[in-house]
Order: sequence, then structure tokens, then C-alpha cells
Amino acid sequence: MHKFFDKNISLFSSICAIISGLIVGLIIMLFTNPSEAFSAFFTILTGGFQEGFVSISRMLYDAAPLILTGLSVGFSFKTGLFNIGAPGQLIMGAIVAIIAGVHFTFLGAFQWLIALILAGIAGALWAIIPGVLKAYRHVNEVVSTIMMNYIGLYLAVYLVKLVVYNREKNESLYVHANAVIPSIKLGNLTISWGFLIALLIIVIFHIILTRTVFGYELKTVGFNHHAAQYAGMNAKRNIILSLVISGALAGLAGGVIYLNNIGRALEVVDVLPNEGYLGIPVALIGLNNPIGIFFAGLFMSYITLGGFYMQIYNFVPEIIDVIISSIIYFSALVMLFKALLEKLGKRRNVHG
Amino acid sequence: MDNLYFLLQQMLYFAIPLLIVALGGMFSERSGIVNIALEGIMLFGAFFGLLMVKYIQDMQGREVIENIAKQQLVLLVGLLVASLAGGLFALLHAYASINMKANQVISGTALNLFAPALSIFIARSIPFTNYTQQVNFRGKAFLIKKVPILGDIPFIGKILFQQAFITTFIGFLILVLSYIIIYKTRFGLRLRACGEHPQGAASAGVSVMKMRYLGVLISGILAGCGGYVFIVTTSTQYNATVSGYGFLALAVLIFGEWKPLRIFLASLFFGLMKTIASAYSGIPFLASLRLPSEFYRMIPFIATLIVLSLSSSKGEGPRALGEIYDAGKR
Amino acid sequence: MEYVVEMLNITKAFPGIVANDDVTFRLRKGEIHALLGENGAGKSTLMSILFGLYQPDKGEIRIKGKPVKIKNPNDANDYGIGMVHQHFKLIHNFTVAENIILGKEDTQWGFITKQKAIEKIVELSEFYKLKVDPHAYIKDISVGMQQRVEILKMLYRDAEILIFDEPTAVLTPQEIQDLMTIMRNLVKEGKSIILITHKLKEIKQVADRVTVLRKGKCIGTVDVDKTTEVELAEMMVGRKVLFRIDKQINEGTENILTVKNLSLVSKEHDRLLLNNINFHVRKGEIVGIAGIEGNGQSELVYCLTGLNHDYEGKIHFKDFDITNRSIRERTALGIGHIPEDRHKFGLVLDYNLAENLILQTYYQKNFQNRGFFQFTFIRNFAEKLIQTFDIRASRGIDTIVRSMSGGNQQKAIIAREVSRSPELLIAVQPTRGLDVGAIEYIHKELIKHRDQGNAVLLVSLELDEIMNLADRILVMYEGEIVACLKTDETDENELGLYMAGAKRGDISNA
Repeated sequence: MHKFFDKNISLFSSICAIISGLIVGLIIMLFTNPSEAFSAFFTILTGGFQEGFVSISRMLYDAAPLILTGLSVGFSFKTGLFNIGAPGQLIMGAIVAIIAGVHFTFLGAFQWLIALILAGIAGALWAIIPGVLKAYRHVNEVVSTIMMNYIGLYLAVYLVKLVVYNREKNESLYVHANAVIPSIKLGNLTISWGFLIALLIIVIFHIILTRTVFGYELKTVGFNHHAAQYAGMNAKRNIILSLVISGALAGLAGGVIYLNNIGRALEVVDVLPNEGYLGIPVALIGLNNPIGIFFAGLFMSYITLGGFYMQIYNFVPEIIDVIISSIIYFSALVMLFKALLEKLGKRRNVHG
Repeated sequence: MDNLYFLLQQMLYFAIPLLIVALGGMFSERSGIVNIALEGIMLFGAFFGLLMVKYIQDMQGREVIENIAKQQLVLLVGLLVASLAGGLFALLHAYASINMKANQVISGTALNLFAPALSIFIARSIPFTNYTQQVNFRGKAFLIKKVPILGDIPFIGKILFQQAFITTFIGFLILVLSYIIIYKTRFGLRLRACGEHPQGAASAGVSVMKMRYLGVLISGILAGCGGYVFIVTTSTQYNATVSGYGFLALAVLIFGEWKPLRIFLASLFFGLMKTIASAYSGIPFLASLRLPSEFYRMIPFIATLIVLSLSSSKGEGPRALGEIYDAGKR
Repeated sequence: MEYVVEMLNITKAFPGIVANDDVTFRLRKGEIHALLGENGAGKSTLMSILFGLYQPDKGEIRIKGKPVKIKNPNDANDYGIGMVHQHFKLIHNFTVAENIILGKEDTQWGFITKQKAIEKIVELSEFYKLKVDPHAYIKDISVGMQQRVEILKMLYRDAEILIFDEPTAVLTPQEIQDLMTIMRNLVKEGKSIILITHKLKEIKQVADRVTVLRKGKCIGTVDVDKTTEVELAEMMVGRKVLFRIDKQINEGTENILTVKNLSLVSKEHDRLLLNNINFHVRKGEIVGIAGIEGNGQSELVYCLTGLNHDYEGKIHFKDFDITNRSIRERTALGIGHIPEDRHKFGLVLDYNLAENLILQTYYQKNFQNRGFFQFTFIRNFAEKLIQTFDIRASRGIDTIVRSMSGGNQQKAIIAREVSRSPELLIAVQPTRGLDVGAIEYIHKELIKHRDQGNAVLLVSLELDEIMNLADRILVMYEGEIVACLKTDETDENELGLYMAGAKRGDISNA
């Protein structure tokens, strides 16, 4: 049994991180409202299935942008870079998508698809700047991408007010019907094209990373850049490319979120949409590989939905953010879980 | 001329919190630990400090509220609570980075996400804050319109001693103390050694782990303090954000080459940028340009990028910054 | 006779190797006692034990006759033992004074009393004739002065017993002479010195007695005046019955590699890591490069393979001038490289065996088509390799390389490089850390490669290996080639002399 764990220490750590984060949430809930804490916690755990197909459909819908931002962050991790710029790339993709969704009505029935593609391009372009700054001026990409996040925020807000402003609600206008990402109905289940596109992209990235020369080079540079150098690989080019791809994914996520008809619009506030930051835990829990990220995105969406339903127990939904950020913290403590694992392993050995 | 004074006063309001937080970052990074959690720690400290302030002020009658001298005490109590909270919160980062040898950027990011989540959760769960995420307090009560005698000094008097907060002087005090501690004490020497060459420090008998814990702890205390100062002096409400200030402080730290005096100058520069961003409508020249408000708010961040691009080639940080220290290696 | 340090019957083992095997070492008061041996002889381990970095498995340490336990460097300091490390542990942007007082600062209420400290430093510096500028920054001073700072660090802590670990490795000839003078002054003032070195000339110049270690065992302790360099070299490398592989000495045919005036300046110190290297390698021969670690061999290989581009001089391979060519171009032209550090350069530990085996060829026509890998071809390729080269891996070509044994990891690298039939195979320390069976196998492969008409450049720290495999031997010392010999015209003892810098030969044929 522990041989299985030896081989899959990362998976084990992820699971431990998730459990630890959930426990932190439970403890905080017990502190604030002990009587209802367990029922609320149970609701979080069963979140996605609360209302049958309706909630499952909603879960898939919400998972799409998380999967995309998770892939954005995870993909850059794999090449040894830390792309904390996903929120900024996301909002740039969002604003471009919204503008195209409101004004490019001449595109007809495929307005949504074009808007999405433009969103991806916007995200990619937004990521080039930190990439170039790192390559040529050695600017630390953590700080530069964070700066780009805020610049992007204010730029997006300005553009909203300029061309797509809904003055009454202080947010962006709703997009045209043709720009709304369509869905497919399978019986009682509604699957949005956003989710399907995310799924498709996961598959594409899985193929790239496992079957192509390009993916092989990216992974090699990320795993061991000395060996990559020894083998004659061109590290610089790969690094810039990977940042651009990350940006495109985050931009795409922005498009997926905001090309909707459920009333979600870009608010004119000082805060970036949360989905950008949630890419980090999705990537970490998903162990930076596409399949893992797919399931991690679903998981994140699942418990967020649980948090929404849990409100009937008088808990504030931000507890979900508390849980998620705790999970991130615990995922950094891999050594702790390794040590735990070793202790468990030793106990087993003692007993033969 | 009044405009100039106004500008300089505002600049101080924005510069002092930056200064305090950046100095905190300096202690952590000089010991070798990257701390991008300054944003979250600022928020965390500010939240608890302001909760305390609101708690006290809600209990106080009118005469007490209008007694400026007594309110300074309230301010200081809040400051202590904020600093303490920040220090404790930062210990999480210390444990992950030092004991668990975790990736310091991940740990820092976790703290940055945890702080607003927890503060919103707590604020919205308690009646004290009307189940909203805002914490309202009587900020104007702390403003000292004019310090007797000192306020009459020409020029300096108007900038430093009128429309002032005592936090400005606390900030200067922290600057002076930081300079002395880092350069003139045994603690400072050993701390710096850990950030440059931990193996060398260890072979000289210094406990690298202890120094780094202290470095991160101090950064937490100062970041909590700075977050509190930021909100208290620029607003009457805590609203679960410090608008990227913690990251600006990182830029100040880098631009200031991890040295206290340069950090002070850098924070004045960024304070000026931030002032222009917020107060441009009060500056006739800029107001007449009719540029959108968002443009001004972008300025500090664009300025940071430009400054970093120009200065990244010179000025290195502590040599062992961010490297995981393995006591076993030789 | 009063001994100030006694290390009695010290044994220390690490997984796979006995670093010190029942070693006894005694230091008299006021002497300079050298510790001589090749790489891996056990000198550093023994001194690390004395300095408290390791604990011995068996044996006892006595200071001034009293048995002691030295658990860490602070204990060692308390007993008056100080060490000047080979790689200085100085803080580059602190001043000389700050470095010296670090960890032992004089303070008043927590504030450092700099003035008092500087006075004491100046006093010590003048007394021991160790010229330093207390206010200078480490990054601005010469390597010689940096070393004096390290010495002053020890004296500031009242060290009586001073250990110098390969102190002349980074010094210029003039600085070496200065150091010799300093050491003589120190013992005049009553200090006792242990000098770890592999350089016979310096031992002859300054040491009173020398203890020779070889392969973990103590060969003996002799008086320097009464022993010749030849005898010392013999003790160092030993005369053994060697395991010789059946092979003939080849002369080779035409030149395949020509290196002209290759020089490389160090980025950190102002030294020449490679000093005007000239040599050639012919097709069908194995050229061995012998030498003690740190004499430029690694740097030479980095330049030849392209991992380092900052050198001067020219490199010609076959008919091509490859001086400015990229790593991949050199590989494609027919150079193979079995790297010194198999984990750092040679393998991606998180990949499986197949992924590692294609590391140098993955972009070629049969391995991929329009960017997509041809897995059938790759699998067959990898399977054939593990069969031909007998690579043992629990899950075949899907085994994650990190979990493989060192020997099999190395076999994988060799399989990958040799199977491409590179006309020049550069092998650096190819059998480091491997068991006898793997060593024998790899040696056979290298000879086979040569017999197929290819050239092999073998860099090794093991003289046996060089003697076994090479047709011609070049010896490197301090960044230069100091000897060029045919294997059947020399022996270990002569090579030992060259390696220790005691002799320089005719290199016109290199």
C-alpha cells in the first residue's frame, strides 16, 4: 500500500492539502456558529449535487473559466515560470470579448466565437510585456505581472466606461444575443460551449505535452534547464512562448466568463475578478498537468457552488475563499506531508 | 502655493505607509526570505487594528471623540493591535519558508488570498460591522489640524505639522530605527549575513533559522502597521483592500536597493505618483488635461514597471535571497 | 612528545564508501603538518571530523591529551580549532572587519563597538604580519587578501590549531609565496598548522611532517626533510597489481580534434582557468586526461562541448572550425558527451528512460513527424538500447529515471551517446560512484568504441582508469597541460609527480 504512496507522493500531498484546507474552514465555521457548522460543512461537500441536474450544469458552467486559468498558471509552472498575471490577462480578454460582444453585431451567428478568439489574443498580448521585460531586462516576472494586473484593471475599467458603459448599474453592457456562448441540452443537463471548449483545450494541451516535440522541449526546460542546455535546446524562446500561451488561456477564460446572458457583467470596481487568482490553486492541486487541472477545476467549482447553497445556514460564502487559500498554503507544505508519509511508512514496516 | 503644500502633505500620507511596509520587506528579504505577502499582511493588520479602533470609538461619547489628544491614544492602540496581528500572520509564511522549505512565492500568494477572504468572512458574520465587509471608523478624529508652535514654522511647519497625523512621525521614527538596527547592531550584521551567504554565517556560528524567523516576523509587524497607517490616514473606512499597496512596497524595496535611506526616497517618489493619481483634480494644470481618472490610477504601476526596467540591471538584492537554505549541505 | 591534536583510529563511512578507515593522525605543537592524498583519499573528511562537521563512526579525538567530542564548528572553535576553507565563506559586500567579527561581535547594549574591533584586528594583523585593510569590502580585494581575512577570522577567535584546506588552489604564484611566509610566521608565534594539499612542491617548501592517505587508509607519516618527492608520490598513488583489460595500444590515424591556444579566464577571481591549451586527438585512439580535481579539466570539457562559450583560442573538429558553433551543431557534427554530473546535465530525472534516451535525437527525422513524436519508432529504439547495453530498469523503458540505480543511469547515458556513433566521444568521470561490474562494462564499451575507428577523450580522476583505457595520457595541472606520454612508456608514480606539479614534461607532441 505504501509503495503506491511512494510513487504518487504528489497526488497524496494534493489530497492532504485539500483535506487540511477543508478542516481549516470547518474549524473557523465552528468558531463562528457551532450549531450550524456541520450542516453547512456538509452542504459544501455535497455542493454540486444539491439541485440535481440544474446544479450540475451550473457546476460545469462555472468550472470552464477555472479550468482555463488553472491551465494558464499550470502551463507556465511547467516551464519554470510563475505567471501571477492571470487576473490581468483575464480582464483584458474579458473587456475585448465584451466590446466585440456588444458592438461587432455584423459577425452574425458566430459573434461569440470571434469574440472568444479575440479574448485569447488580448490575453496573449498582455503577457508579452512581462515576458520581454524578463528576457531583456531581467525584470522579476512576479512583480511585473502583478503590476500588469493593476494596469490591466484600470485600463479595462476605462474601456468599459468609454464604449460599453451601463451607467445605472455601473458595469458593462450586456452582450448581444449572438455573442452569448451557446449551450447544448442533453436531457436535463445543460452543457455550455464554454465548458466544451475548455475540455477541448485540455485535450489539446494534453496532446501537446505528451506527444509533441514542442511540449517535450518545454517540459525539459522546466524540469532541468541544465540538461536542456546540454541537449542544445533554446531556453529563451521557449520561455517567452510559454508566457504568451499562458496569457492566451487566461484571456480566453475572461471571454468565457463574460460572454453570458445570466447577468454577469464587468463591474466598475477596484478589484480584479476572482477567477484569475483561483487559477493558482487549481494548478497546484491539479499538479500542473492538464488532466489534473480539469478535475481540480471541477472540484473548485463544486465547492464554490456548495458555498453558495450553504448560505442558508447563515454563513458567509467567503468561507470558500478561506478554504481555497488555506489549500494553497498547505500545498506549499509538501515536505510536511512527505514526513507524515514516511512516519506512516515506518509504522507499517515495524508491523511487518 | 497652497496647492504645493497640499500636494506635499498628500504625498506624505501616501509615502509613509509605503515606507513602513517597504522597510518591513527589507528585514525579511535581507535575511534571505522573499516576502510577497506584504499586501495580505497589510490587510490583515489593518483589519484587526481598525476593528479595535471602531470598538473603542463606538463606546466613546462625543466629548472624547472630539478630544484630539485622547484620540491619538486610540490611534496608537489600534496601531499596536495591527502590528501584532501582522506579525502573527507573517509567522505562517516564516514556518512554510524556513521549516518546510516551501516555495516562498506560493506561500506568499496563499497569505495574500487568505487575508481578504478571512477579513470579509469575519466582518460579514458579525453584527458589529453590520454584516458588511466594511469597517467604519471616525478617521477625521485623528487628524491634527495644527501642532502648537511647530505648526507655525515657515514652510516645514505647513507640510509636517499642519493637517498631520502622528503616524507620519512614527514612520520617520521607524526609518531611523531601521537604519540603526540594520547597520549598527549585532542583530543587523548577522541578519544581513544570512541573506548574503547563509553557509558563511552558519560557519561563523550564527543561527540562520533564528535570524530568518526574526526577519520575517519584523516584516509582518511593519506590514501590519503600514496597512493600518495607510487606511487610517487616507480614509474613514476599511473595505477589504489596500489597492495593490503591498506590491508597490515591493517595488519601492527593489528600487531602493534594499537600503533604508534609498527606500525613503523611493517611497517619496511613489507617494508622489499616487498623490497625482488621487488628487489630480485638485491640481489645476492636470485637471485641465481632462484625462480619465483611470489613467491616473495606472500611473504608479506604470511608473513601477518603467523604474524596474531601468534599474533591474544595476542593484542586486541580497545574494541568497529566495534560495532555500539546507543546513546539511556544505 | 606533546601532541596538540590526536585523531586515533578514526573510521567514517558513508553509503557505499569508507572515507576514513582506521586513520591515526597526530599534530605536534608548533609544526606544519601536511595531509597529502589524491581525490577521494579521505583528507577532507578527516578534517571535517576535526572541525565538527561530521561525527566519526569509530575512534577518538584528543586535544592536548584530553579526549573530546566535537559536535559542531562552535565546539571546534571552543577548542581552539579554526579552518580556512577551500571555498571562502566570506560575505562579499561586508567589509573585512565585519567579516572577521561576524558571530563574535563586541557589543554594548546590542550596538557593535566597531572601534574596539578594528583596533584588535589591526593589532593582530600587525603581529602576525597579515596585511589587510579593515575598511575594504571583500568584493574589492584580491584573493590573497581574502584568504588573509579568513586567517584573521581564526586568529580573532584565538585559534591555536589552524587547518588550511587546499589554500593555494586559488592563488597566484606570488600570493602562494606570501602564504608560505605567513604560515611560517604563525608557527613561530606558537600556532600549529594542518595543511591539506596535493601539491608536493609546497609540502617540500613549508611542511615539517606529512601524513599520506590513500583510498581512506593512512599510508604513513614521514618527515619532509627525509623524504623525496618521488617517494611521496609513490605513497600517494601507490604501486598495485592492476586489473588490466586486454587491449593493445593504438596510435590512431588522422587528427579529428585539434585545440589551439585555448584559454579561459575565471569570472570571479582574476585567474586563468585554462592557460594556452594545445593538443589533438586522433581517430582510433583513446586520449586520457589525468589530474587532480580542480586543475581545469571540467572547464576544458565545457569549452569543447559548448556549454561554456567565453573562451579564447580555436577548436577544430574534423574539417570544421567549431569555435563558435552552438552545442547542438557540435553534437550533430559527431561529438558525444558523457557529462561529469549525470544528474545535472546528463539526465532529466523526472522523465522516463525512453524520454531520456531520445534527449539528443528527439528532433531528428525518424523520431518525429511534423512535430508529433513517432512513438513506435521511439519505443523500438529505446528497447533495442536497453537490450544492447543491458540497462536494468524495473519497468523497462517506462521507468522513471530517478528511481534507477546510479550504474544503470550511467549506462543509459552511455547507451544514448555511444549508439549515435559519435566520432569523438568525450567521457568525463564515466564510472564515478559505480560498482565493479558496471565499471568493467563501461570500460569495455569505451574500448569497443575506439576499436570501431572513433576517438575517445577520457577525463578521469582515477589513475587506474586512465592507465587501463588510454593510449596516450595528458596530465593537467593548474590549467595547463604539463605532460604528454604514451601509456606503455610511463607508470602511476611518474604520473603522480606530474599531477602534483613536481615535474613538467615535453608537451610538443600533445
